[in-house]
Amino acid sequence: MNTSNLMKQLVVLGVAATAGSLAISATVAPGAPIAQRTIRVLSAASTDAASPEAAVWAKAPATQVALQPAFPGHGSIVGTPVTEKLTAQAVRAGGQLFVKLAWIDRTANTAIKDTTAFADGAALQFPVNGKASTTPFMGDPKSPVNVWQWRADGRTENLVAYGFGTATRAPSEGLKSAAARTDSGWAVVLTRSLKVKPDEGASLLGKSTMPIAFAVWDGANQERDGLKAVTLEWWQLRF
Amino acid sequence: MRQLAYVFDLNKCIGCHTCTMACKQLWTNRDGREYMYWNNVETRPGKGYPKNWEQKGGGFKGGVLQTDGKIPPKGDYGGLWEYNLQEVLLEGKGNQVVPHEKPTWGPNWDEDEGKGVFPNNHYFYMPRICNHCSNPACLAACPNKAIYKRPEDGLVVIDQERCRGYRYCVKACPYGKVYFNLQTQKSEKCIGCYPRVEKGVPPACVAQCVGKIRFVGYRDDKDGPIYKLVEQWKVALPLHAEYGTEPNVFYVPPMNTTPLVFEEDGRLGDKPRIPLADLEALFGPGVKPALETLGREMQKRREAKASELTEILIGYTNKDRYRL
Repeated sequence: MNTSNLMKQLVVLGVAATAGSLAISATVAPGAPIAQRTIRVLSAASTDAASPEAAVWAKAPATQVALQPAFPGHGSIVGTPVTEKLTAQAVRAGGQLFVKLAWIDRTANTAIKDTTAFADGAALQFPVNGKASTTPFMGDPKSPVNVWQWRADGRTENLVAYGFGTATRAPSEGLKSAAARTDSGWAVVLTRSLKVKPDEGASLLGKSTMPIAFAVWDGANQERDGLKAVTLEWWQLRF
Repeated sequence: MRQLAYVFDLNKCIGCHTCTMACKQLWTNRDGREYMYWNNVETRPGKGYPKNWEQKGGGFKGGVLQTDGKIPPKGDYGGLWEYNLQEVLLEGKGNQVVPHEKPTWGPNWDEDEGKGVFPNNHYFYMPRICNHCSNPACLAACPNKAIYKRPEDGLVVIDQERCRGYRYCVKACPYGKVYFNLQTQKSEKCIGCYPRVEKGVPPACVAQCVGKIRFVGYRDDKDGPIYKLVEQWKVALPLHAEYGTEPNVFYVPPMNTTPLVFEEDGRLGDKPRIPLADLEALFGPGVKPALETLGREMQKRREAKASELTEILIGYTNKDRYRL
């Protein structure tokens, strides 16, 4: 999304007062140039990639992805997320896409046992229409996004959103996740079939490239909803 | 939008908790809601439920939603201890009925403690439910549009399908009246017994009130007790109006619920035992004129003169107290 589109969206949202400073940070954010914001997908014969410890991950190219604070789409959302980067890998095999994310998070927040507790999480976001012209800020009423969200308490949800505050659970028979603690944090694999029914989100069938965005929540920092570390621009999965 | 509202006459509350039990039996004794008291009765002065809710923050200042509110930890609502009644009383095991965990805090932990030194100590009871505010901070705080006011009665409800358990509403409600259900991972609150209201039946807490302290009806019903007590007689006041949420539960402040202050020589003086400032801290500057009005009308009654206000407050029949 270019800056003027972003400004337009923010003005529509009634948050013009903060739009100026965001536009500046979005403009000067040292994100990688578009050509470099690419994650190469390894095509493999074996479908044994669902575990973060599967052997195939040693072969799949690993890409460092810088994360920034998400634009807080609502006045309630205050605070600064702590995660600064993640490592992304992707494998296509047996009609499925496997995406592995790994990031540093010293405290595992795996259960919500008190009213004040929040769980760690991570998510992938795709434009439902497959086009990078869709806003990566949770989509808009005409161009929705599909979010695959993993939570450390074992919940994995398939969501469709039409803008800030509209994320809604969508049917998903095939979305799965597996997570493991590493020495320094989390390694999570999200898996879904390339082909889905129309109401299940973004189809990945037959794509040579697909825009993708990332988000990480640190439960220890009370992160949930829009308090998250994200990629402010689309990256490209290159199959 | 029509707005359902309540008046609670604190001069009639006997602190029996029947309202609380009615609500609990109907809505909150199961499925992760066990710790919640959508209706509670707290002793004032006191820490309340959840503990120290008046210091939790939230609400609005100058019309701006405050984001400094706290989510009360589970301990501030109190433990869910059970007793070994079965073993001791029915199975003959052990010789003492004890809770299964050491209780350290709970609703009504400081019940009847109040403030002051005998013989001039004092307290009164204050029942609390969701205020079904006209400007609800919980609704304003939800980024996911999961909270709405029902257009037909203004009751504030949380759409359990849309709620994602972010708890901004719990932070934002300055009254501590939104709760997080750890089992469903969603937030919940008093629903004003809307399935009853839709049938013209008063909410359970209202219907079961032993002291008949509760009045329910619509703000715009000029023939109803709510309009008369709030707008016409101005004896029913909002709790902490300064929080900016425009609550729709109004309280008739306590008057002579305790004897007047004993002077040092043991004679009964003429000063009110509950300091006016304490009441004003809860119900605002309208307390003094409200108490004056109440006193004046009660005096008429003592002189066997007619008083419409005291007739309304007595609320002889259900029809007098409920207009749904």
